[in-house]
Formats: sequence, C-alpha cells, structure tokens
Amino acid sequence: MPSSNPLPPKENALFKRILKSYEHKQYKNGLKFAKQILSNPKFQEHGETLAMKGLTLNCLGRKEEAYEYVRRGLRNDLKSHVCWHVYGLLQRSDKKYDEAIKCYRNALKWDKDNIQILRDLSLLQIQMRDLEGYRDTRYQLLMLRPTQRASWIGYAMSFHLLEDYKNALSILDTFLDQQLKHATADYEHSELLLYQNLVIQESGDLQFALNHLDIYSAQIVDKLTLKENLAELNLKQSNYNLSARIYEELINRNPENTMYYEKLIKAKQLTTEEDILDFYLKYAEKYPRAMPPKRLPLNYATGEQFKNLVDKYMRKALSKGVPPLFVDLRSLYKNAEKVRIIEDLILSYVDSLKKCSKYSESKNGPKEPASAILWVYYFLAQHYDYLKQTDKALHYIETAIEHTPTLIELFVTKGRIYKHAGNPIEAYRCLDEAQAMDTADRYINSKCAKYMLRANLIKEAEDICAKFTREGVSAMENLNEMQCMWFQTECALAYQRLGKYGDALKKCHEVDRHFSEIIEDQFDFHTYCMRKMTLRSYVGLLRLEDVLRGHPFYFKAAKCAIEVYLHLFDVPLKDESAEQELNTGESRTFKLPTFVPDITQKLIAFVGFPTKKGITHLHLSPYISDVAPLAFILLPWLKRVIKRRCQGLG
Amino acid sequence: MTRANIELVFPVSYNDKFYKDVLEAGELAKLAYYNDIVVGAVCCRIDYSDSFKSKRLYIMTLGCLYPYRRLGIGTLMVQHVLNYVEQDGNFDSIFLHVQVNNEGAIDFYKKFGFEIVETKEHYYKRIEPADAHVLQKTIRKSGQANGTLE
Repeated sequence: MPSSNPLPPKENALFKRILKSYEHKQYKNGLKFAKQILSNPKFQEHGETLAMKGLTLNCLGRKEEAYEYVRRGLRNDLKSHVCWHVYGLLQRSDKKYDEAIKCYRNALKWDKDNIQILRDLSLLQIQMRDLEGYRDTRYQLLMLRPTQRASWIGYAMSFHLLEDYKNALSILDTFLDQQLKHATADYEHSELLLYQNLVIQESGDLQFALNHLDIYSAQIVDKLTLKENLAELNLKQSNYNLSARIYEELINRNPENTMYYEKLIKAKQLTTEEDILDFYLKYAEKYPRAMPPKRLPLNYATGEQFKNLVDKYMRKALSKGVPPLFVDLRSLYKNAEKVRIIEDLILSYVDSLKKCSKYSESKNGPKEPASAILWVYYFLAQHYDYLKQTDKALHYIETAIEHTPTLIELFVTKGRIYKHAGNPIEAYRCLDEAQAMDTADRYINSKCAKYMLRANLIKEAEDICAKFTREGVSAMENLNEMQCMWFQTECALAYQRLGKYGDALKKCHEVDRHFSEIIEDQFDFHTYCMRKMTLRSYVGLLRLEDVLRGHPFYFKAAKCAIEVYLHLFDVPLKDESAEQELNTGESRTFKLPTFVPDITQKLIAFVGFPTKKGITHLHLSPYISDVAPLAFILLPWLKRVIKRRCQGLG
Repeated sequence: MTRANIELVFPVSYNDKFYKDVLEAGELAKLAYYNDIVVGAVCCRIDYSDSFKSKRLYIMTLGCLYPYRRLGIGTLMVQHVLNYVEQDGNFDSIFLHVQVNNEGAIDFYKKFGFEIVETKEHYYKRIEPADAHVLQKTIRKSGQANGTLE
C-alpha cells in the first residue's frame, strides 16, 4: 500500500536502496541514501525516510537520535505502515515488547496483509504469551501463505498452547494429509509425528495416542522416544505384557537407566519384596556390569536380606575405591534399621581389615587392597556426619588423613563436617588446604570459593576464583558475565551477613538480571525451532520459561533481596553518613536509592494486588519493578513476614 | 606434584626452587599411584659435581606413604630410575643420601646393587641423627671413557 506521501521515481529508488542497505547491514550506505533524499528541500520532512534513518542509526548504537528521527518520521506520516513498523522494531530492540505490539497493530491498520509485520507481531505475541493474539495472527498468516509448512504448524501450535486440543489436532491432520502423499521418512517429518502424538497424549486420549504411534511407527526415526512412549502408553492402558516386552528391549539398549527397571516391575505387576528381589537378581546376572540391578534392590530389601545385599555392594565399592559410595547409599538412611545394619557392617570391616586385611576374619581368599581401610574410614566419617555425630565424624576423617594424607577428598569432607557443625571458618581452612593440593582442579577450586563466602571472606573467594576466570577482567565481572549464579548468591548472602546491604542487593539484582536474560534469549527460538521442526523441545522450552523464576537459584537470591529490603524498612539508613559508615572500606560501594526507607510500604502495595495472569508492572521505580517478579514467586512467604511486621507496627 | 604431598612423606623440607624444578623435570620426577591415589613420589637430578667428565644421577627423594609399603611401589620407582639411566646410556653412577639409622631404606637399596661408599657427618640440619650414608650404584667402571673408542 502506498504511503500517504509517495516519493517520485528517483527518490523512491533511493528509498528502496535504504531498505536494502538495512537488510544487508550496510548502515553507513543507508545513511548516505537517506541524506540524499532528505537534502532535497521538498522531502526533508519525508516520514518514511526519517523513520528508516532512525532505525539505521539505532543499529549503529545511536539510540537517542534513533528515537528522535523515528518519532519525527511517524509524526509526519501517521498513516504509513512503514513508519509504524519501524517504530515497532525500534521498541522491540529496546525490549519494550508491549509498546512494540501496539506499533505493529497500528502498522497493520494501514497494511493488513503485510506478511513481514504479521510475522514480527506473532513473534512478540508468543514471547509475551498473548496466546489468543498469537492464534489470530497465525490464522492470518495461514490464510496469506497456505502453502507454507510453518503457517500450518504455527497455527496448530497456537491452539495447542491454548489447550484447545481438538482444533490443534484437526489442523495437524489436515496438514499431514496433504503431506503424506509425498512424504519420506526424514527426521523433520518424524518429529512432526511425535509432536502430533504429544498433543494427542495431552488431550487425554491415550488409546488414540497408542494407535497413532502404531500406525506411524515405521516413519518415526527417533526409535528411543518411540519405544519409551509405546512402553509408557501401554503401561497406562494396562497392556502389561506388551509394555513389559518393550521395557525389556529398552533395558537391553541401556541397562543403566533406573527408570526402565521400575517401570518394568510395574508392567510385570510385581509387588512382594521377594518377587522384586528375584527380578533384580535375574537382571544382575543378565547384565553383570550394570549398576541399577545391584543398587535398586537395596531400596526394597529388608532385614537379613538387606544385610547380605548391602554387605556385598559395599565390599565391592570399597575394594575398588568408589568415592561417592556414601552419597549413593544416603537415600537409604531414611530407614533407621538400614542405618543400623550399614553401621554395624562398616564397623566390623574396620576391625577385620586392621587384623587381617579382609572384610571378615573367617573368610578365606585374597587380601583386600591397602586402600580399602581408607575408604572405610572415609565412609564412616560421612556416615557420622550425616547422623550429626560430629566428634565421631572428625575422629574418622582424621584417621583417614593420617592413613593417606595425599587424598584431596578427605579434606573436602573434613571441611563439610565443620560446615555442618556450624564452623564456617574451620570449614574454609580445610577446603583451602584441599585446593592447594591440586590447584588445577576446578571443582575443588569452586568449592573452596563457596566455603570462603560462607566464612564471609569475599575478597579471598574472588581471588581463588580468579585462577580460572578470564585474564584481564576482574573475577567478579567475569563471573557475572558467565552467569555464575551460585557465586553471586553466596556473595549476596555474605554481604547481607556483613551488613553491606547495598552490595548484597547489587548481587541479588545481578542474579535477577540473568533470569531476565534467559527469558530474553527465548526470542530467537520462536523462529528457529519452527524452522527446524524441533517442536516437542520448543514446547518444553516455552513451558520452562513460563516457570523460570520458580528455579531454586532465583528463590535463594530473591529471598535474600527481600530480607534486605525488609531489614532496611525496619532499620532505615539515617542519611548519607550512616550509609557510608555501613560501607566503609568498600571502594565499589553501591549507592542505595533514596527511597529505601519506604520500600516495604511499596512492597506491601504490590503484594496486595498481584494478578492471576502474571507479574504486575507497577513502574514505581526501577527498583520495585525489578523486585515485582521476586515478590510474586515469594508471595506466600512474604505475606506472612509483612503481616507480622504490620502487626508489630500497630 | 604437590608440595603438600612431599612434605607429608618426608621429614625434610625443601625450598620453593625445588618444587619449581620438579615441575619441569619430566621423567626425572614421577608420582606413584595405587588404586588412583597418590601414595609415592620419586625425584632426581643429573649431577656433574664430581668431575667435569662424569655424569651421575642423584636421587633427591624417593618415598612411599607408610600403609602402602611392601607392595612393590618403591621397587617400581627405583626400576623407573634404573630404566631411565639405562636408556640414556651415559651415566656413570646413581647416588643418594640416607639417614644412618634408616636400616629399612639401606637394605632396600642394597637389593638393587647400591653400596655405602661414604658417611657424611652433620649432613641433615633439622633431623636426628644428622649423619648420612651415601649410597651409590656404579653403572660404568670409572676410567672408562664416555662413548666408544675407535
């Protein structure tokens, strides 16, 4: 549709070259052509040219000028879809998605069938989860481009996301009907079928899903997913024999997957302890190198049976030297009887190994390796640590260190015992020692840094981390760049304990920003996944992003931030000097916003009205809008705290 | 190789330069592992101090953690040193110091053909007894020239 202010042919040709330059990222050229048009007095206020000039400037990083030109262009030509589209693109690049959507809608008023604008709009709608809007836009795209695969899939997916399975499936059916005539069994087609099956399963019609898989199994190339789905669906539909057969095949493919064994037990309908133990015994013989058939029966066995099995299991691991043996068995500690049996066995190993280098004195056979008793001590230290018997835990870890002072794991465990006993200083010293024994071990390095932070030694922790961060940048900066959240959260907590509230908040907000970035990064996948047909993963990603801030990392940082804000409400910083007093010695002191004292009132204000739909945007201040998502997640907990505070305030 | 390891095995403390050199020593410095645990270390240097003609190997340290002795680890390390010397082909002898009361060590080295050739008084500064035997294994008779004669 022509603009309200069309250019004559010569200028129009120049304008087309601006567009081309923009598409090819030749921004300098674009500006040159724009200047040629605008220098003509007749066209110096030409809206679309001004808008394009602004957009080009934005790409060169001149954001303020960009807004100026784009707005001026728009004012001069309010009926131009180009101007509105450009304004939308500019807002999008600035992450103002709500504003950008409005611009695109205006653009479509003047050119309702513009494919490019519709596509851009649909991307924003799915990013913002305006699912109804997304569905309508995808419908228009399908009407305009009915031959394109993406049009159909996008439209079907919009219904799927709205949980309108019936429509989603009928669109997929129509599309596949056209396709199947000339379909070859390629990966993309296979993924599409699996996606279709996912939608059927979510609709709840499992028998239909099963039939669907049966019909198309030859065309599905992802055999693992096919089998897993078939096995699961058959199990749910009570086709036990069939399900068991498929799970047996799956175990044969990968005998290390513990889930297969548990499902196979269900399919075989084994319920008694005896049957289940027999089952595992059979599979242990069949797959002698597989771990699950040896480890899983320990969950079921009791009494004497358990004793025999765990005895065999531990002896093997102790002889071989398997450091995580305790971690492997820890889940059994829920059961007091099992704890007692394990303790008795391990203590008996100590005695026998000391006397004759064997796990039990009566037995003949070869002697155990010299390292066996070391691993027994190591296990005992962790065992008593778990049972909160610190003295015994320390005794055994010291015995182990005396035996083999070169084993780094021992120092880590010693540190952990101190940590659990509430002595972060001694804990960090142990980890520092461990770290010094192998400075090239990044795991130990990170652990040491974390323990230092627990001991409020922020500078030291940063220096330790610096051994592995990029050279030439400060470790703090690099860790932020790498989204190293465990470090930043622990750092925030250390600052909080030290009363450096500004620094603590700074770290919490860095973590919050990482989460915003992760949500941001989603944008590229809207086009990419549709093109690559990885639809199941794409839906998984969308669902993950929807609950992203429910992640424990976020919770921890948010909790710290809110505690600090609440504390600042209870104990407001009096003035600048008090603030400085709090932060003396820190060169990179973070300036607290001046409204800090009334922060909690503001917290209460929006805790009162978060909507069901999602996160409230109150635009109270840059701070509060940042904290809003925090509060939403923490709502139940926050409400309790605030209620208590308000009562206290009378 | 880590400094802590060595200090745990031996009663002697070494200076920083020792550890720096060790890192660059290659075959002359090795750690011994038992079931993936570091339990021993050997470290040597080439010595020209006797006379400018003779090339000798000096074993600076060779040790194994107590619970892992009598398992052939020390032998393995000595064997490594002997192999190194043999492959090089130009060494006249191998020597080392040992505390005079360390009978276990003396017997151990005698098995490989080492002999006490000298006793130095007050060799050690911080441990008792401070006297040390020099144990030596001759590879090539002295007087025999380097290389072959035409």
